[in-house]
Amino acid sequence: MARFLDLALSAVMLAGLYATMAYGLGLIYGVLRVVNLAHGGVIMGGAYLGWVLFERWGLDPYLALPIVIAASFGLGVLMYRLLVRHLPRGPAGGPASLLLLFGTWLVLRNVAYLLFTGNDQAIRTSYSTSSFVLLGTHVPVNRLAVLAIAVVIPLALHLLLTRTYTGRAIRAVAQNADSCTLVGVDVERIYALTFGIGTALAGVAGLLSATIFSFNPGFGSGELLKSFVVVVLGGLGSVLGTGLAALILAVVEVFAILVLPSYLTSAVGFVMLVLVLVLRPGGLFGQRVLG
Amino acid sequence: MRSRSSPVPCRRPRLALLGLALAAAVAGPPAARAAEPRTKVSLGATLPLTGAEARIGGFFKEGYELAVEEANKQGGLLVGGKRLPVELTILDDTTTQATAVSLADRLVNSDGVDFLLGTYASHLVEAQSTIGEQNRVPYVNGGGGASKIYKRGFKYLFGTISPVELLGTTLMAWIDVQQKAGKLPRPARIALLWENTAHGKDFRKGVSDFSAASGGAYQIAVDESFPLDGKDFSALLGKVKAANVDLFLADAHLPDYITMHRQYVSAGLCHKVVSYGARGSEKGAIEALGQENVNYVVSGVWWSAELGKKPGLAKAFVESFAARYGGRKPEWFQALGYESARALFTAIEQAGSLDREAVRSKLAALKMPSLLPGGTLEYPASGGQQAQNPFVLLQNLPDKTSPIIYPPADATGVAVGANPRCAK
Repeated sequence: MARFLDLALSAVMLAGLYATMAYGLGLIYGVLRVVNLAHGGVIMGGAYLGWVLFERWGLDPYLALPIVIAASFGLGVLMYRLLVRHLPRGPAGGPASLLLLFGTWLVLRNVAYLLFTGNDQAIRTSYSTSSFVLLGTHVPVNRLAVLAIAVVIPLALHLLLTRTYTGRAIRAVAQNADSCTLVGVDVERIYALTFGIGTALAGVAGLLSATIFSFNPGFGSGELLKSFVVVVLGGLGSVLGTGLAALILAVVEVFAILVLPSYLTSAVGFVMLVLVLVLRPGGLFGQRVLG
Repeated sequence: MRSRSSPVPCRRPRLALLGLALAAAVAGPPAARAAEPRTKVSLGATLPLTGAEARIGGFFKEGYELAVEEANKQGGLLVGGKRLPVELTILDDTTTQATAVSLADRLVNSDGVDFLLGTYASHLVEAQSTIGEQNRVPYVNGGGGASKIYKRGFKYLFGTISPVELLGTTLMAWIDVQQKAGKLPRPARIALLWENTAHGKDFRKGVSDFSAASGGAYQIAVDESFPLDGKDFSALLGKVKAANVDLFLADAHLPDYITMHRQYVSAGLCHKVVSYGARGSEKGAIEALGQENVNYVVSGVWWSAELGKKPGLAKAFVESFAARYGGRKPEWFQALGYESARALFTAIEQAGSLDREAVRSKLAALKMPSLLPGGTLEYPASGGQQAQNPFVLLQNLPDKTSPIIYPPADATGVAVGANPRCAK
C-alpha cells in the first residue's frame, strides 16, 4: 500500500510538471496552428532567468515568477512580431514555421552557451531538498509547489479564455480568423498576444524545472518532446485535455516501473503517442477550439 | 603539401608530377613523410568546446596546451637528435559525432597533422577513432573510457583513461575492506543503478562481477538502468526504498547526479554507503545539493589533485597547472589530457622519428613513469591498448574536503566506513 501511495504521489507531481511544460505549446498550436519548436529554448531561457535572479539578487524562484512571466511574454511577442507573422498562413506555412522556430531555438541555445558556458547549473534554495511526511510517504515541497502552479495555470487560462473579451477573441480567432477580421477583431494583435502567453507559459515551465533539475544550454529538448506527446495525447488545442493527458502520461510512466525495466518507462509515452495517433488521431479528448 | 618541396630532378615535369602522385597514392602518406626534412611536430585534436560537453572540453584543452607548452619550453621534442617544436591545432567538434569525425579527417588529410590527440566523451571517441585507424595515424585519448571502444581490435587507438569497470571493482574493493572491518553488514544488500550507456554498463559489470565472486558477501537487490539526462527518478528511488538495501551504488553523469540525489534526499533515503560512480566531489554539485546532503558520498576518479600532496609527477603537474592557470587546481580531465599528450611525446622521442608506424609501435610498448594512480602508464594489448591504472576513491567530509580514502598507498585522509547520517 505504501509503495502504491509513493508511486501515485510521484505520478501526480510529475503530471504537474508535464502539464506546465505543455500548456504553452498547446495554446500556440490551438490558435496559430504553429508548432513552436522554440518552446524548448524558451524553457531553457526561463530556467536561466530564474537562476540569474536567484544567484545575483537572491530572489526566490517563486517570487521571480512575475518577472519571468513578463520577460517570456515580451520575448514571445517580439518573436511573433519579428519572425512568425511573416510566415505564410495555412498549410504552406507549416514547414517554414518548423524551420524558422527550430532555427530560433538554436540561436537561443547558442546565446546561452556564450553567456553561461556549458556548465550545469541548479537553483538551490533552503527548501530544495525539503519534504514532509504524508501517510508515511515523503512529499517534496518543491514538487508540491510545482503541482499547485500546474493546477492554477489551466484555471487561470480557462478564466481568461471564457470570461474576458480578449479570451473570447482568442477563441474566435482560433475558430475562424477571417471572420474575426470582418467583425473588427484585431487578429494580428490576438496572434501576438497568444504567442506571448504561450511563450510566457514555457518560461514558467523552465523556471519551475530549474527548481527541481540541473540544467545547461542544452536543456529543453527532452521537455519539448514530452510537451509534444502531452499535447497530442490531450487533443491539439484542448487546455483541459492537456492537463488530463499529462496526468495519464505520468501515471503510465511511473507505474510502468512495476512491470518494466526503469530505462524503458520513458518510452511508454511514445508508444502511447503512436497508438493514439493511429487509433484516435484527434487525441484522447478530441480536438477542440480551446476550452 | 610537403611533396612540393621534394627535390626531384626531372626533364618532363608533368610526367614526373604524375609519377609522384602515383607513388604517393601507392606508398601512402607515411612513406612520403619519411623522406622529408621536418621542422616541427604537428599534432591535431578536436574537443567539444561548445555544446553539451563544452565545460569538460575546455578542461582537456588546458591539459593539452600545458603539455605542449612544457615540451616547447625545452626546445621541443628530441627527434632523431634534433629538437622540433610541437604545434597543436585544436578544433571545436561541438559535441557532435559527425563533426568530430569530419574535423579529424580534415586534420589528417587536409591539414596534414602527424598525430592525433583524442576528443572527450566515449561516444565521440568511438566515432572519431575510426579516422586514426583508417589513415594509420596514432590516436591517443584520455576522454573515451568505455571499454567497448577498445574491443574493436584497433591498432592505432590508445586510451589513457582506465575502463569504468575498474571503477566498480575499486569501489567494491573498498567496501569489502569496510565490511571485513565490521563496519558494514554481511551480507550487504546493494541497489545498483546505472545509466543506460556504455559507461554505465561497464560500471555495472565491475560491481556485479565483484559481488558474484564474493561468496555471498553481497546481494544485488535492485539492478536497474536509467536513461541519460533523466528527469524523474522518483519511481526508481521508490523501488530502492522498497528493497531495503544497505548500499546505494549508482553511476551517473553530473546532471543526473544532481537531479537524482536531490530526489534521493527529498525521499528521505539514506544508506550506509552512497556513491554515484565518478560523481560526488565536484564543486558545482556540492553547491547545487548543499554540503550537508553530500557528506560521506564516495566517488571514484581517474586522478585527483590530492595526489599532488606527495612528491612526484602529480605534484609537479599540480604546481605547473596552478602557475599557468591562475592558481587553479586541476581535475582528472586536465590530468588525463596532459598525460595523453605526454605519452605521445614520449613515444615520438623513443621512436626518434615522426614515422607513424614507428610511433605506434613505441606507444604499444610504452611503459613510462606517470602522474596517474599506480605511477606507471602503459597501453596493454590485453586491454585493447587501454590503460588499466587503478582509480582513487574520494569521500566528501563535513569539513568540506574530499580526501583520497583508497587505495591506502595514495590515501590522504581516513574513510568514514558507514554513513553516520543513517540510523539504520
